[in-house]
Amino acid sequence: MNLKKVIALGAAATMAVSLAACGSSSSTATTAESTAASTAEAASTADAAEPAASGETTKMTLALRGGTYGAVIEACLDQFEAENNVDIEVLQLEFDDLHSKIALDAPNATGAYDLVMVDGSWMAEFTENEVLLNLSDEGYSFDEDIIPGTTSICKVGDDIYLAPYFGNVTVMLYNKELVEAAGYTADKIESFDDVMAICTAAKDAGKNGYVTRGGSADSILSDFIPVMLANGAWVVDENNQPTVNTPEMKAALEQYAALQATGTTMEKDDIVGQLDNGDGALAVGWPGWYSPTEDSAASYTVIPTKLTASSEALSTSMYGVWTIGVPANAPNKDLGVKLLEYLMDPEVQLSTVENGGVPCRYSVLQNADVLAKYPTLSIVCDALEVGVYRPVIAEWSDFTEIFGTEIDNFMQGTESLDDALANAQGQLEVLMAG
Amino acid sequence: MKAKNSEISSSTSRNKVFPRLMTLPTVIILAVMTAYPLVFTVYYSFTNYVYGKKKGYSVVGLNNFFTLLKTPYFQQAIWNTVKFTIIGVILEIVIGLLVAVFVNSLKRGQKVMRVLLLLPYLLPTVTVALAWKMMLSSNYGIVNQVLETFHIPSHNWFMEIGTAFNTIIVIDVWQNVPFVFLMLYAVLQGVSQDQYEAARIDGANRWQIFWKITIPNIKGGIALCALLRTIDTFRVFDKVNILTGGGPANSTATITQYLYTYGIRNLKFGLGSAGAIIMTILVMILSIPYIRRVVK
Repeated sequence: MNLKKVIALGAAATMAVSLAACGSSSSTATTAESTAASTAEAASTADAAEPAASGETTKMTLALRGGTYGAVIEACLDQFEAENNVDIEVLQLEFDDLHSKIALDAPNATGAYDLVMVDGSWMAEFTENEVLLNLSDEGYSFDEDIIPGTTSICKVGDDIYLAPYFGNVTVMLYNKELVEAAGYTADKIESFDDVMAICTAAKDAGKNGYVTRGGSADSILSDFIPVMLANGAWVVDENNQPTVNTPEMKAALEQYAALQATGTTMEKDDIVGQLDNGDGALAVGWPGWYSPTEDSAASYTVIPTKLTASSEALSTSMYGVWTIGVPANAPNKDLGVKLLEYLMDPEVQLSTVENGGVPCRYSVLQNADVLAKYPTLSIVCDALEVGVYRPVIAEWSDFTEIFGTEIDNFMQGTESLDDALANAQGQLEVLMAG
Repeated sequence: MKAKNSEISSSTSRNKVFPRLMTLPTVIILAVMTAYPLVFTVYYSFTNYVYGKKKGYSVVGLNNFFTLLKTPYFQQAIWNTVKFTIIGVILEIVIGLLVAVFVNSLKRGQKVMRVLLLLPYLLPTVTVALAWKMMLSSNYGIVNQVLETFHIPSHNWFMEIGTAFNTIIVIDVWQNVPFVFLMLYAVLQGVSQDQYEAARIDGANRWQIFWKITIPNIKGGIALCALLRTIDTFRVFDKVNILTGGGPANSTATITQYLYTYGIRNLKFGLGSAGAIIMTILVMILSIPYIRRVVK
C-alpha cells in the first residue's frame, strides 16, 4: 500500500469515526449547547435584573409544559407583568425536554428559569439533587382550599417545594352514543365488568371497544395503572421494592389484554379522535387532552373503582398533576416566589378555567357557575380527592421503561405473561438495588 | 556566500512555517469540534457520570460496557440497528441506482426530474416523520382510506409489531433514495459515451451494457454512497423517536433510541458515552469493506 492509499484510508477512517461519534453524541452536543444557552440566558437575565433596581423592567423566564398546561399560565401573566414591572418569557416544552432543561440548568450558579413546571415523577430526583427552592423558607404555605391529596407529592417532610397547579388525573373517556347503545349512561359505569360489557357491545357493532394507549413505555404503563389499581396490584411495596410479579398483577394484565382485544392500541391524539368520531367506545385519558361541552360526541367520567358490582371499591385514578416550583438557582427568586403565589391565587386560578385550566381547588371545581359550563370538572374534583401518585423514587424513569416495555412485550405477544412479569421483576430488582 | 546560504535557509524555514500557520485554524477547529468531544466521550464511558448529581462520579472501568452488552434491550437494539442498516442501505442503493440510470437515459426533462426527485431529501427529518405519521394515521390517514376503498385490510402501522419496523424502513428509504440518486447520477454523467457506443456497435444488449459498462464505471460512486448511507443509517434516531419511540415491544428500538431512553434522557452520560463508543466500533466494522473498496 503506497503513501496515498495510507492517507486516504486514514482520512476515510477518521471521517467514519467523526460522523459516527458526532451522531451518537448529538444529544451530548445538544446538552452542551443547551447548557451554554442556559448560561447565556441566565447571564442576560442577570443583566436584566440589575437595571430593575433603577426602575427598569426585569426579565423573567418560565419553563413550562407545552399544550394546555403551560398555555393557561401564559394567558394570565399580563396582570403580574404590569404590577411588577417584569417582562416574562415563556418556554413551552415537551415532557422530556422540560425535564432535561431543568436538570441541565440546575448545576449552574445562577440558573435560567424563575419558575418551572414539574411532573410529580421527577420530585425524588430533583429533591436528591437540590434542584428546587424550599418554598416554606420563603413563607409559602398551602391554604385549605387546595385538595389535600394533590399536595403530598409537593412536600419533603413538612417543607414545601412545589405547588399543585394543573389537576391532571386519569379519567375514563367515553363516546356517548356507543355507551348508550350498550344500554349504559356514564354514571352507570361503576365497575370494570360494565366497561367490558360496553366494549364488547361496541365490538359486536363493528367498532373498537376499549382503546389502549401505545407508544412510549411511560404511556403504556400510565394507561395500564387504573386496571392495575382496580385489581389491587401496585408496582412497589412500602419499602419501594418492586412487586410486579404477583397474582394481582397477573390478573390485572390478563384483564387489560381482554379489554384490548375488544379494541385497538393507539397514540394519544388518535385515541381522542377515535372516541370523538365514534369509532371507539372507552379509553383512559387525561382532562388536559379533551375539553368536552354539552354537544361533544365524547366526554369523560370517573374511572370505575370496582372490578365487579360486588367487589371492594379502590382508588383507581392516577395523579398526573403538574406542579409549579422555583429553581434553587433562579435569577429572580423573590419574583419567582411572588409569581408562584400569584398563580396559586384562587381568583387567578378561577380565571384559567376559561382557557382549559383545571386547578386543584375546591372553590373552583365546586363552583356552581363553573360547573354549569364545564360539568365534567366535578368528576375531576372527585378523582383528585382519591387519586394515587406514582411512587416517589429517583429511579422511576428507568422503572417505567422496564415495566412498560415488558407490558408491551406481553401485549404484543412476543413474551408470555409469566415471562414478562418475571423479566420485569428481575430487572427492577437489579435497578432498585443500585 | 555564507550570507547567501543563511538567506536561503531563512527563506526555507519561512516556507515551512507559513503553510503550518495557514492550516493552524483548521487544526484548532477540528481539535475543538471533533477531538475534544471524542476524548471526553471516551473518558466518560469509563465513569458513572450522571449530569447534575450532587454526589459526583467515579471511574468504573468497563462496567458501562458490560452492563450495556448484557442488557437484552440493548442487544435487541443492536440487532434492530444492523438489520435496519443492511436492509435500508441495500434498498436505497438499488432504487437510487435504478432511478439514476433511468433519469440519465432520458433525452428530455432531466432537470425537472432531478428537482422533483430531490424533494424528499430536502425536507427535514422531523417534517418527513410527522407527514408520514399523518398519512398512516389509523383515524384519518390517507393510506388506510385508500386501502379500505380497495377492500384491502388496513393497519395500525406504527402500533403493530408486524408492520412498525418495515414502515420506518420504507419512510427512511423514501427520504434517502434521492441522495443516492444524486450521487450516482453525477457519476454517471462522467462516464464516456464512447464506451456505450462501442458496446452497441458490438451488439451488446441493455443488460450487458448496464452490467459490463455502467456498473464498472460507477462502482467507486456506489461504494462511497454505501459508506455514507451506512454511517448515516446506523445513527437513525429522529424517525424512530417520533414515530414509535422504539416500540411496539422494542421492535423498532435502535442503538441511538436506546441510548437516548436509558442514557441521555436521564442524563446518564457515562452510560450514554459507552454506548456511543460501542456504536462507533460497529459502524467502523460495517464500513471497512466500503473503505477498502474506496481506497483500492
